[in-house]
Amino acid sequence: MVKLDASKLSLRELNTSLKKACVLGEEIHIANPGARHNMAVCILSKCRITFDGSVGYYCASMLDGPDVLVNGNAGWGFAEHLYSGTVRLTQNASLAVAASIKGGEVVIEGDAGARAGIGIKGGLLAIGGNAGYLTGFIAQKGRIIICGNVGDAVGDSMYESLIYVGGKVASVGTDSRVTDVTADETKWLGETTERLKLKTRKGTSWKKVESMKTLYHFDKLKLKDRHVV
Amino acid sequence: MVHSSSQLWAKHIMDDIHVKAQLGRYPLRGFSTFQRVPHFDELVFLSTGLTRVPLEGYKEKCNTRTVIGSRFAKEPLILETPIYISGMSFGALSRSAKAALGKGASKVGTATCTGDGGQCEDERKFSDKLIYQILPSRYGFNPRHMLGAQALEVLVGQGAKPGSGGLLMGKKISAVIAEQRDLPEGIDQRSPTRHPDWFGPDDLSIKIEQLREATDGRIPIHIKLAACRVRDDVKIAAKIGADAIVIDGMQGGTGASPDVMLDHTAIPTMASVTAAREALEEIGLYGKVSLIISGGIRNGADAAKALALGADAVAIGQAALIALNCNKHIPGVTDYPKEVGVEAGYCRYCDTGKCPVGITTQDPKLEARLDPDEAGDRVANFLNAMTMEMALIARSVGKSDVHSLEPEDLAALTMEASLMTKVPLAGTDYRPWENGKKSHGGKKCI
Ligand code: SF4
Repeated sequence: MVKLDASKLSLRELNTSLKKACVLGEEIHIANPGARHNMAVCILSKCRITFDGSVGYYCASMLDGPDVLVNGNAGWGFAEHLYSGTVRLTQNASLAVAASIKGGEVVIEGDAGARAGIGIKGGLLAIGGNAGYLTGFIAQKGRIIICGNVGDAVGDSMYESLIYVGGKVASVGTDSRVTDVTADETKWLGETTERLKLKTRKGTSWKKVESMKTLYHFDKLKLKDRHVV
Repeated sequence: MVHSSSQLWAKHIMDDIHVKAQLGRYPLRGFSTFQRVPHFDELVFLSTGLTRVPLEGYKEKCNTRTVIGSRFAKEPLILETPIYISGMSFGALSRSAKAALGKGASKVGTATCTGDGGQCEDERKFSDKLIYQILPSRYGFNPRHMLGAQALEVLVGQGAKPGSGGLLMGKKISAVIAEQRDLPEGIDQRSPTRHPDWFGPDDLSIKIEQLREATDGRIPIHIKLAACRVRDDVKIAAKIGADAIVIDGMQGGTGASPDVMLDHTAIPTMASVTAAREALEEIGLYGKVSLIISGGIRNGADAAKALALGADAVAIGQAALIALNCNKHIPGVTDYPKEVGVEAGYCRYCDTGKCPVGITTQDPKLEARLDPDEAGDRVANFLNAMTMEMALIARSVGKSDVHSLEPEDLAALTMEASLMTKVPLAGTDYRPWENGKKSHGGKKCI
């Protein structure tokens, strides 16, 4: 186990030490992260990283391989552009968590701010609490699970992603709709939330938000909808 | 004056209304603006006489080597010419076109840029120097590709359509492009306008720090802006840590855009250079932050004028496509009227995917009309010709380095060009912009 004290290192020293240890497949423990921005960026090897405290913007971003645990809250763009591996946060995430991820799993035990899962291209974002405005905006592939409630305009202008909501949906975005989940999806949701140790309310009745695909072809749009392209 | 037809309701205005009445939406097209706006033709160089001595073309070298992004980057981008190929997406362009651009640029020691849609493998393979763009869509973004690049470019806007996202019509979303972009095949793709993970300058400064951490501060980070509020935008981009700033004027090209954006947004490229230079001078960063200009650069004269006004380098897009063969009739191969409805020379239908010369298409039959080796040679020849033109002009004004060109080497042919560039009207020493102040870093224009 490699132990790093973030309060005693410059950002570059911290990231360089992390990258070196990760190449060796080490387990790394980071004390006193102090909510600094840009920690654990662009690590492309398998390793295990734990932050003992809150982190700032873009923590655990552009990763391909590592398993990261943050014991605290996170700022904007947490885990964005994840390629593979897992990133877990024990408290709340701010705006644009898991933006544009391509693979892997991002798990938020608490709430997520606006634009959670914006533009995702694969992978899974699972949120134990509530999620904010424009969750899943323009999401392309991959899935988002929200155990609690979700804010306005969920799934706006989405492509092939699917969003599952355990609580209330404030409103759907342009071109998205709420539908029922299938029996297979219900089973998958139960297994996945259990595997990820996310608490769901007893008797949760899952809803699915999906694209209506009416924006896929400009010239097939109804006249009144053509402002959206 | 009495005209034989209406100036207000000219034929092209009526045609435009007829098209919109048919479509029920704004028309789209490729190419660049059709507006006649002030451009570099309205400036001329004041070559030597008794006040300056010219250099001998055959024995006195003129340096064209260009260093971009040495402000913070450990490994700045070093180019053998101050001209590189601007970002054009794999998707808008065919794989063969991207390969040809890479081959051509590498032959003359310069760079290409990925554009939207991620890295095209052939472009990477053939480009010795590649600038990796980071765009709002993040289509095809791959951290491993990013680490292999020689510079990064955060795209905030492009001159052809500032404030609106990219478009790629269904005919060009082939299976390969769909997979690369994680989109359904055949859809009309609309890219987002705003980045997913930052909104304003404060966030972008943290994003730039992220990119620097990701790349260990090794390579330059450019910020590309559409030429709109140039002075403010340039100061902000410099303040938040850009190594280089790319200003893309309204004459910038595109594969597809609403024509209302092409013709009615952003300011002319020429006007943006002086504004950008003055903005950097005002904050003491001129010469430290590299300034790159793009948008309608057609030849070595345009490029030399951009450098004289304050740019360190220029980027070309449409001109490089024309070197590839855009709008050229190839006897026995192309049939422009049948394929795109107009003669060669009038085509601007890059959005349709029906490019008769295989450049802006994903149709394998059309793409086969573009040989990447031959096309790469044409691009190399064109870049070389442009570079020679620049060096010729520089020597004629007595400069042994194209980067020594300065506003004092120029005269303006029109009042508009004079006011936009702060270069006196030819034959005059009239400086209405001065109001007692000197321009161009305190140097007096003669
Ligand atoms: S020839 Fe091809 S690249 Fe040129 S304008 Fe036409 S479609 Fe576009």
